[in-house]
Amino acid sequence: MIFIDLVVCLLAIVSAVWAIIARNLVSAVVLAGVVSLAVSYLFLRLAAPDVAMTEAAIGAGLSTVIFLIAVRRTEEEEKR
Amino acid sequence: MASRLILEVALVLAGAGILLSLWRLVRGPCPATRAVALDTLTLITMPLMVGLAVWTGRGIYVDVALVYGVLSFLGVLSIARYCDRGV
Repeated sequence: MIFIDLVVCLLAIVSAVWAIIARNLVSAVVLAGVVSLAVSYLFLRLAAPDVAMTEAAIGAGLSTVIFLIAVRRTEEEEKR
Repeated sequence: MASRLILEVALVLAGAGILLSLWRLVRGPCPATRAVALDTLTLITMPLMVGLAVWTGRGIYVDVALVYGVLSFLGVLSIARYCDRGV
């Protein structure tokens, strides 16, 4: 069981660092979604299922869509 | 006792799948590849949560996997729409 926890921690750390240094903004949004997924599992592992459910709803559903809309709007502003 | 062993083997195999998806996520050349890796990671993590529920014997953990399964397609769908013609 500790092996899975270490793998998910590695996933969260690598995805967070790669989201910062990624050149493409859409790739950064995808990597932020992966960080949300890994953190949701870690909340579940720390015996907090309500926090994990909120993180799943916000991170998977809302945050990715809002970030993509923001990227789209700022691209249109930059082209002018 | 045998079911415990089967659960341990399944969890280790899920960890190997997470490592392979992480490789594709880091090395992916375009955002569409990373979106597919995100979908694969979601599909691996959902049975991981259910296995954690079996391991600890708490039924509330299944609900989290259910909520994630219902909501995870939304992010991949919006990324696909963005790659096609914008949100």
